[in-house]
Amino acid sequence: MRILAIMSVSIRRVLRDRLSLFFVVILPILVILIVGASVRGFSTFRVGVVGGNLGASDRQLTSMLASTPGIDMRQFATVGDLQSAVRRSSVEAGIVLPKDMDRAIRGHGTVTVGLVAEMSNPSQQAAATAVQSVLARYAGQVQAARFASQQVGVDFGSSMTLAGHLATSVPGVAIVSRQAGSQLATLPEGFSYSAPTMLVLFVFLNSLAGSAVIIANRRLGMYERMLAGPVRSGVVIAGEALSFVAIALAQAGLIIAIGSIAFGVSWGDPIAATVLVGTWALVGAGAGMLAGTLFSTPEQATAVGPAVGIALAMLGGCMWPLSIVGPTMRTVGHFTPQAWAVDAWTRLRYQRGTISSIAPQLLVLGGFAAGLLALATWRLRRRLT
Amino acid sequence: MHPALAIAAKDVRQRLRDRSAIVLGIVAPLVIAALMSLAFRGAETIHLTVGVVNSDHGSAAAGLLSALRSPGLKDLVTVVPEQSEGSASAAVHAGHAGAAIIIPSGFTNSVSRSRPLPLTTLTNVNNTVAAQITSSIAQSFVAQVNADRLSVATASAAGEPTGSAAAALDKAHLSLPIQTVQRAFGAKRLKTISYYGPSMAIFFLLFTISFTARSFFVERDQGNIERMLAAPLRPRSVLFGKVLSAFVFGIVSLSIIAAVTTFAFGADWGNPLAAGLLSLAMVLAVTATTALVIGVAHTQRQAEGISSFAVFGLALLGGNFVFVSVTPPIMQRLALLTPNGWALRGYTDLATTGGGLAIVGLPIAAILIYTLVVATAASVLAPRALTP
Repeated sequence: MRILAIMSVSIRRVLRDRLSLFFVVILPILVILIVGASVRGFSTFRVGVVGGNLGASDRQLTSMLASTPGIDMRQFATVGDLQSAVRRSSVEAGIVLPKDMDRAIRGHGTVTVGLVAEMSNPSQQAAATAVQSVLARYAGQVQAARFASQQVGVDFGSSMTLAGHLATSVPGVAIVSRQAGSQLATLPEGFSYSAPTMLVLFVFLNSLAGSAVIIANRRLGMYERMLAGPVRSGVVIAGEALSFVAIALAQAGLIIAIGSIAFGVSWGDPIAATVLVGTWALVGAGAGMLAGTLFSTPEQATAVGPAVGIALAMLGGCMWPLSIVGPTMRTVGHFTPQAWAVDAWTRLRYQRGTISSIAPQLLVLGGFAAGLLALATWRLRRRLT
Repeated sequence: MHPALAIAAKDVRQRLRDRSAIVLGIVAPLVIAALMSLAFRGAETIHLTVGVVNSDHGSAAAGLLSALRSPGLKDLVTVVPEQSEGSASAAVHAGHAGAAIIIPSGFTNSVSRSRPLPLTTLTNVNNTVAAQITSSIAQSFVAQVNADRLSVATASAAGEPTGSAAAALDKAHLSLPIQTVQRAFGAKRLKTISYYGPSMAIFFLLFTISFTARSFFVERDQGNIERMLAAPLRPRSVLFGKVLSAFVFGIVSLSIIAAVTTFAFGADWGNPLAAGLLSLAMVLAVTATTALVIGVAHTQRQAEGISSFAVFGLALLGGNFVFVSVTPPIMQRLALLTPNGWALRGYTDLATTGGGLAIVGLPIAAILIYTLVVATAASVLAPRALTP
């Protein structure tokens, strides 16, 4: 009963503070929105196009580019604009269609398309590869149309239309893509990727920021007053820990609800997801309480806490998938609990994981939680008695 | 000494004694910029290992292998032979190979028949870039084969008998009629640290707004401001002194971060004079915003709330949190409503073009317009916060 009383006091103090509601509710949603809108950069190539005279062939090629999965096509008015965009990495590669593209396509010679990419830059090189494969597919239709109109004597336009239709029905050498070891074909993009990693980021960040409450309690002499009554120090610590867990669970629940309702994010097996969220709340509580014993002023907690939280989140793959970093950074990343939580969400959501398939991650996270909570309890008890 | 300077000097001393200011102004931006640059170093040097299971050993398979090993792809792809689909799948699943291509037995012969065998790529859900590149290379390779098949089909659909169309195609030896030519684009590439160095410096510079506004109201609640006003000081001097400390702190923090990221991590801030003026404009914008927060807020809590909105709103919109170039065009336009968005564009242009003052003219002008508007509003509103 006393534990619950102490817990509810701490929770009420947080809820009354409108500023903390900003960090618990509004900021995570804003960040999910913005990161969600931009995270597709990890698996999509942004390609710029400067059109020629916008004839039939320009339109055919640009609509082919636009409908190719993995290519995000943007049009530019001038070559200068395209070059600036490539320079600023707004697009990874660009093509410049010739001015008289329509005429050139109908002719007999080879049509030359300018490629704007810095070939010593591997990501631009990769984007260029993707564009070239679309150009080759289009060139195949042009070759077929030229050949047919030369053989049969029909005009180029109608044989181009014919070739376009046949391209989808004539069996060619197909490229079949298969997943090695998991069922889903692609990593979801946008909100669906960012929502779980942002849950990991913000629950932890918020717990660290919550350490300011413990510091304020220490400075106000709240603990001394509580201990003057018939309350053991263990009860005080348990009450504080429970308030951290309750706030973390509430925030996680909110992010899950908004993620599923507003952005249609699926969170995987419900039992496994619940256990994962619970374990993560314990990790956050341990970290927040430990921070509360380490910092001496609320200013330090609000200055150092977010910086540490963001740094750990970056290391642990909350801001970008750890698959894009080198092996050393991936190993270093797994010294943070964040990496294990993100791994667990990945298994749960993209590989249809269950509680048994994320058991290793849960075990490691449980270890982190136990270690942090034990350390925090030991330090807080020393300060209390 | 001018009273405003004395007040500013006292504030700077006070903040230096509080170690959290050093963490926020110097340590945190450096650590996070270094982490981002380390993380993306992997992404800057994409190199993938592609496992190839060759069960065909015919001429078409040899063609694909030589396409994968062509000089143009030398820096991007390393080809590793795999014995079986099982071993290739295991290698991809474990991440030893980025992706794998399986050439089925009888592939070469099937290419000339009506239903050719497909090539299979094995990919890993965690490595979509490798999957994309591998399938693009395979697609480019089969493009000529498919173009020839399509040519015969189109001609026969247009009326030519299939047999004679195939014979004519054999004689014609067609090659794909579109080729790409590399165009010069006359710029240096943007290194990740050259973006995240300035970006993180500005992100943490924005926190100066919260710190200074908060400290103003703490002092007011302690009665310090009233006591200062009892001295022969104008309210504006007091406010000027307070925000001047934010200015000094911002300049010092930006300079240290620029120096450390340049010499330790190889960041390119571009022409020093242009980068310096751009930084100066940015710090002025932050200083003016601080004055406005003080003017709008009534209490310490309000100051904390308003400055949190300002700090995170500017950082999120301006592109300090995510690399603004990868966001959709609408976000890139929104970024140009913020001074930090303009500053980041200025730093990016300096680093990639190697240009000087002319390059940052527009960004500096935009930041100064923001500063002027905000400072005017602050000078109207702020004296109210000072009068007891």
